[in-house]
Amino acid sequence: MRAGFHRKLSGLWRAEFLSLKDFVRRAALISLVFLIAHLAGLRDFTSILNGTTGSVELGWRMSAFLGLTYIFLYLAFVLLVPILLLSAAMLSVWKRLLRQKAAGPQADNSAIAPPRTIAMVDP
Amino acid sequence: MSRLKRILAGLVSLFLAGCVWLSSLHFFFAKSADEFHQAQGLSSQARQLAARHLQLWTEPKLREQELKKMRASNAEWDFMGRTFLVWSLANMGLREPASKASYLQTMDQIIEETLRLEKENGLYFFLMEYAHARPWIVQPEHSLFLDGEIAMMLGARRSLEEKAEYKTLLTERANAIAERFHKSPNLILESYPDECWTFDHVVALDALRIADFLDGTDHSVLIQRWLAMAKERLIDHKTGLLISNFTTSFEALNGPEGSSLWMVAHALQLLDENFARDQYQRARKELGRITLGFGYACEWPASWKGEADIDSGPIIPVFNISAGSSGMAFIGASAFGDDKFLASLATTLEFAAFPSRTAGRLKYCASNQVGDAALLYAATLGPLWQKVKAGTKL
Repeated sequence: MRAGFHRKLSGLWRAEFLSLKDFVRRAALISLVFLIAHLAGLRDFTSILNGTTGSVELGWRMSAFLGLTYIFLYLAFVLLVPILLLSAAMLSVWKRLLRQKAAGPQADNSAIAPPRTIAMVDP
Repeated sequence: MSRLKRILAGLVSLFLAGCVWLSSLHFFFAKSADEFHQAQGLSSQARQLAARHLQLWTEPKLREQELKKMRASNAEWDFMGRTFLVWSLANMGLREPASKASYLQTMDQIIEETLRLEKENGLYFFLMEYAHARPWIVQPEHSLFLDGEIAMMLGARRSLEEKAEYKTLLTERANAIAERFHKSPNLILESYPDECWTFDHVVALDALRIADFLDGTDHSVLIQRWLAMAKERLIDHKTGLLISNFTTSFEALNGPEGSSLWMVAHALQLLDENFARDQYQRARKELGRITLGFGYACEWPASWKGEADIDSGPIIPVFNISAGSSGMAFIGASAFGDDKFLASLATTLEFAAFPSRTAGRLKYCASNQVGDAALLYAATLGPLWQKVKAGTKL
C-alpha cells in the first residue's frame, strides 16, 4: 500500500522538462523552501547587506551564509515563482487554443451535417 | 507535441512571462512619497519606525543586542544611530507637540548616555579601530565627527524645548569647534588622524548655525569662509560634487561618495540653500537611478573609481547599487521634495530591505539600527531646519 502511495506521489511529481507541470512543480518547490527559511527566522540575517552581522553569537561567516541563503530564496520566490506560474498559465492557454484549433473542423462538420436519424427518415 | 516544440514553447512562455512580471513587479511594492514623508504630521512609516526606536530605548536588553551587532562592524554606527534618532525626535516633537514630552525624555536619555560614554571611554569609543593607526596632526586630539554631531544633538534638543543644562554644554562645544576652525589655516578639522570629512564639517557648521539661532552668537563669517573654501578646494571637477574625505593637506582620500553626499546636501540647506540644491541635483544625476520603477543610488559617480567600504556596504555589481548610498538618498530626496525619486526609493525599500512589522513597530531586516534611524530622520526632517531658518524661537 505504501509502495502504491509512493508511486502515485512520484507520478504526481514527475513532469517533462519545461512543461506546464514542470513549471508548477518548480514554483511549488521554491515556495516551500522559502517558506521554511522564512519561518526559521533567516530574514533577520539579511543585515549582511549593510555589513552588519545577523548574530554576534553565530559569527560573521554563518550569519552571512544564512543571510545570503534567505536573499537568494526570497529573490527566487518573488521573481521566479510568478514567472513560472505565468509561464504555466500561458502554456495552458496556448494548449487549449491548439486543442480547439485541432478540434475545430470536426466540430464545424458536426454542426452542418444533419442528424443521421433525421437523414435516414424517408419523408 | 514533439520534444523540441515543447521546449521551444516553454522557453518562449518563460521569456514572455519574465517581461510581463519584471515590468510590473514594482506595482506590488509601490509606495507613494506621502506614505514616507509628509509636510505636516507624521507619515505611517515614520510612526512605525519611531515606535521601534522608542522600544529600543525602553528595553535595555534589546538595545544592547542591537548595538552589539553594529559595534562588531563599526563603532561609529552606535554613535550615529543615537544622533540620527535625536535629530528625528526633535523634528517629530515639532510635528506633534502633543507627544513632545515623551520624545524629550528619550532625547535626554540618549544625550546623557552618549556624553557619559564619551567622558568615561574617551573619543575612541565611538571611532573605528584605525583611529589608533597614526597620530593626529592637530594636538590635543579632537574628532570633528563627535564634536559636531554631539553639538547638533544638543542644539536639536534645545530647539524643541530649552534646557538650561544643555545651554552650557552646547556653548562649550560650539566655542571649542569655532576656536579650532579659527586656528586651522585651511579651515579644516580632523575626524580621524589626518582624515577630514565634508559630512562632519557641514554638520558641525549646522550646529554652530543652530547655536547662533538659540543663543544669539554669530558664526556667519566663519560659515561663509568655510563655504568659499569648500567651493574652491573640495569640489570634484568632473562632477561638480563635493568630495567626501581628504587629508589636512587637501589630498582627496575619496571622491564624491553617495553614503555621505546626500546628507551633506541636506546639511548645506541650513548654510547655503543654492549650493545645497546644486549639490543635490548633481548627486541625483550622477548617483540616483530608477530602473523598472525601483529607485536606488550608487556610491560613486561613473567618473570615479572607488571600492566598496564600510560606509557604502556591499555594492551590487552591474547596477552598482550601494545600500549605504541608497539609504542616505532618502534624506536627500525628502529634503529637496523629490517625490518621484522618493517614491521609487520607498518602493525598493519595501521590495529589498525586508521590512518586518510587529505590533505597530517597523524595522528593516536588511538595515540596522543606524540605517533605520537615518530612514526615520528622512521621514521626519523639515521642521527643525524651517524653525532655525525662520529664526522663530519658542
